[in-house]
Amino acid sequence: MADNTPHDPHVRRMDEILNEPVLDHEYDGIEELDNPLPGWWLMTFYGAIAFAVVYFTVHSIIGDNRLAERDYQQQWAAIEAQQAEQLAAQKAGLDPEALAAEVVSMAAAGKPIYDSRCAACHGGAGEGLIGPNLTDDSWIHGDGTAVPVYEVIRDGVNANGMPPWGALLSEDELKQVTGYVLSLQGSNPPNAKAPQGNKVN
Amino acid sequence: MIAEHNVTHAGSDPGELEEFTYDDQIVRYFAYATIGWGLIAFLVGLLIALQLGLWQLNFGLPWLTFGRLRPLHTNAAIFAFAGNAIFMGVYHSSQRLLKTRMFSDVLSRMHFWGWQLIIVSAAIMLPLGITQSKEYAELEWPIDIAITVVWVIFAVNFFGTIWKRRERHIYVAIWFYIATIVTVAVLHIVNSIELPYSFLRSYPVYAGVQDGLVQWWYGHNAVAFFLTTPFLGLMYYYIPKAANRPVYSYRLSIVHFWALIFIYIWAGPHHLLNTAMPEWAQTLGMIFSLMLWAPSWGGMINGLLTLRGAWQRLRTEPIIKFLVGAVTFYGMSTFEGPLLSIKAVNSLSHYTDWTIGHVHGGTLGWNGLLTFGILYYLVPKLWNTELYSKKLANVHFWLGITGTGVYMISLWVAGITQGLMWRGLTAEGKLMYPDFMETVTRIIPLYWVRALGGTMFIIGFCIMVYNLYKTMQSGRISEPQKHKARRLVSVTTLNASELGSKHRLLEGLPMVFTVLSVIAILVGSVIEIIPALVVQEFVPNDKKIKPYTALELAGRDIYVREGCYTCHSQQIRPMVSETLRYGKPSTIAESQYDRPFQWGSKRTGPDLARVGGKYPDMWHYRHMINPREIVPQSIMPNYPWLATANTDLDVISRKLQVMQTLGVPYSNDEVKQAKADALRQAEKIAAGLRAEGGVNDAELEQRELVALIAYLQRLGKNGGVE
Ligand code: HEC
Ligand code: HEC
Repeated sequence: MADNTPHDPHVRRMDEILNEPVLDHEYDGIEELDNPLPGWWLMTFYGAIAFAVVYFTVHSIIGDNRLAERDYQQQWAAIEAQQAEQLAAQKAGLDPEALAAEVVSMAAAGKPIYDSRCAACHGGAGEGLIGPNLTDDSWIHGDGTAVPVYEVIRDGVNANGMPPWGALLSEDELKQVTGYVLSLQGSNPPNAKAPQGNKVN
Repeated sequence: MIAEHNVTHAGSDPGELEEFTYDDQIVRYFAYATIGWGLIAFLVGLLIALQLGLWQLNFGLPWLTFGRLRPLHTNAAIFAFAGNAIFMGVYHSSQRLLKTRMFSDVLSRMHFWGWQLIIVSAAIMLPLGITQSKEYAELEWPIDIAITVVWVIFAVNFFGTIWKRRERHIYVAIWFYIATIVTVAVLHIVNSIELPYSFLRSYPVYAGVQDGLVQWWYGHNAVAFFLTTPFLGLMYYYIPKAANRPVYSYRLSIVHFWALIFIYIWAGPHHLLNTAMPEWAQTLGMIFSLMLWAPSWGGMINGLLTLRGAWQRLRTEPIIKFLVGAVTFYGMSTFEGPLLSIKAVNSLSHYTDWTIGHVHGGTLGWNGLLTFGILYYLVPKLWNTELYSKKLANVHFWLGITGTGVYMISLWVAGITQGLMWRGLTAEGKLMYPDFMETVTRIIPLYWVRALGGTMFIIGFCIMVYNLYKTMQSGRISEPQKHKARRLVSVTTLNASELGSKHRLLEGLPMVFTVLSVIAILVGSVIEIIPALVVQEFVPNDKKIKPYTALELAGRDIYVREGCYTCHSQQIRPMVSETLRYGKPSTIAESQYDRPFQWGSKRTGPDLARVGGKYPDMWHYRHMINPREIVPQSIMPNYPWLATANTDLDVISRKLQVMQTLGVPYSNDEVKQAKADALRQAEKIAAGLRAEGGVNDAELEQRELVALIAYLQRLGKNGGVE
């Protein structure tokens, strides 16, 4: 590579504005200066290379290439533990009579939730569409009392296409929509889907 | 050195003095094409940007839906607009830098018309859904072959010109053109190896993670060797010419050129960070992206510092404004790129609109502004006149950079918002925004802002078209000017001191230079791609996972045709928030039969890797016809035609046979009875839908929607084994 001494035979002249050496190259009038690589630029380049070498060595040569996987498993284990705790608390905490009374009192607030979240599958009046008719006294899951209805709404039936709403709705909202669903009992809407599951009454 | 070839500096060792002209007509052709296709590419981009805010803007026509137009937009922007711009600049500058007319006028014209024909056929096929769904490589096999042929024509013409040159050494711009031509050829051919099953359709030979790795090695380097290296070459010609200043540092040119092409090729896996791809490959992608920062900035520094001593012209000369603006955006994008390649940053940014913002900083800012600068430089020269209006060019400049800025900033905000909302967890370890639609509706206002930025950019562009049109009108195309230069004498007659440094020597040996460039780009390619094709880690062949049934495969091809991958990923990353939202992380084995892979790159809608079984068939049936019936605020297009069109089951046997050839374990019976099997499965789904009531379609089992449902319900189920 050309060195930067004034005696360099490849330096043609000094640039008239910047007083820097101009090389003896010319292409269609384009000339090139003989400036060295900027120091700060070279440092960032060397820095990145050094980082890359160290990172790859530690991570992929000495390490086992499972860092992300382990991180994930650790974090997921923590979430699962949390979920198990919550589930236990929920199971223990559901008092059939208290829940029944509570949801009835909150039923009115459940209508907007039902309309936006449930009607697409269960029909505007609960008559059944993709999901079963919710107005009859036949139930696929449980006996149509507050606890099993609340639970099926909260946990869903993934395998059969009923989404779990526990993650999407707050506990109060779950209770409200449970109350609303139960309030539809016996409403006999038009176009009702045939009963499914077990008749309970 | 130059003296003996330059008549104005009559030299010591004279070759024969020759007279020649440049072919500027071909440059004018490419200039027209750049402008025309640019307008189309930008307008299609604007349309699909608007569709994300208002899905109805597809007017209910299949070929105007987002999934089909987005590939048209990207292909038009890259290959039609940027492509023609590159050729315009390469044909104009190379002749002058090499002091010769192009090798062959016939090849130049074949190149031009061949390329335009490819673009026209792409513009017809992509809206028809004839696509391989591999980003920027969507075009099907007949066009892939045509691209190869035209590229070879270009290469022969270009290297022939080098061969005929009257300038001993090749200038840095030519280095970049060489790297472009050879690398694009390698990338295109390797990524396009596919087996046709019909006149216009094929399956790639690679499957799943292999297809992903090869595709993003290609995709990333399409950015590198189609949108970066040729434009750097153009920068090296047009900035010193426009500013009339010497290039800042020849030594920097050398170092950053070789570093750039050697390192760039490795960085592809940064498109697949935190996926099921083996971690060492991800790590390579990340560290090479970080090392790429300095070589990229080397180009920016050399471009900007070339203007030292001419900065005052930045205020008065619109061409300089555009060139400086472009290089500045280049610097920004090449800083942002490495940043986005850091795994932790990528875990936030990937699949969001941040990526789209990043890309447009590069394409609008760097490729767009540079092209406009070159057009403002070239048109007056080629039409022998002055630019019609500097004032209009200034207005264009401000609209251009403001539009690009608005575009980038709106999508930064959108992308970071999406990323944070997707991953947000409550103290109880639940998703903070479990409803995906909430994360969509939140950013729709930003989509409108983005569209505003794009509109400004396009208005600026139209002003340029007017300005250039007036310029052309006021000028005239004159007889080509005659130039004189001496023929090259053989190297052996030069004495050693004239040869200079080793690199200088290399610059006098273009073929050796080319071979070294090929080696530089092959090192990274070989080290990354070969393992993907042979190492067990990449090719799990998990026998538990069943190949797609005939009907599922037919449905999958419909998914590909409609471009669902432009909004939906199929790759769950190992992150707690993703498991809570979508299910457990995707594995390599799960996509081992996926030709082409459908991991996707953006989540405008939710990930679909495990959507199978999440909803009943009826849900999908109604959702596909009109998503808003189920999800009122959805921005997904309606697909009613899927419920009336029939699945083409006549080719299904052939499809399975091709898959079998590619190593998918279908038995001969399965291949032979594919159609009957497909119909049987379709009847079952149709019967289920009928039983739900509400579907009155006597030919339900024939419909495409039924095949698509079969495919969707299989995702994440792996053929029943899970
Ligand atoms: C994607 C469609 C879909 C949506 C949305 C939906 N459901 Fe369901 N739902 C179903 C299906 C399907 C079943 C039947 C599950 C089965 O067969 O095990 C069901 C079952 C039920 C049941 C149990 C019925 C029985 O007979 O045991 C209740 C209660 C219920 N849903 C309530 C709701 C509520 C409340 C909402 C809104 C918060 C809702 N569903 C939203 C599809 C849906
Ligand atoms: C313009 C972007 C866009 C395109 C193109 C698109 N979708 Fe969607 N998709 C969405 C959005 C947004 C949602 C979330 C809202 C909803 O459920 O409608 C979605 C949801 C879905 C869902 C439900 C996912 C879930 O877990 O709830 C499925 C299934 C789906 N899309 C399938 C498809 C298929 C198949 C195609 C191609 C034929 C397609 N989409 C094309 C945007 C899109």
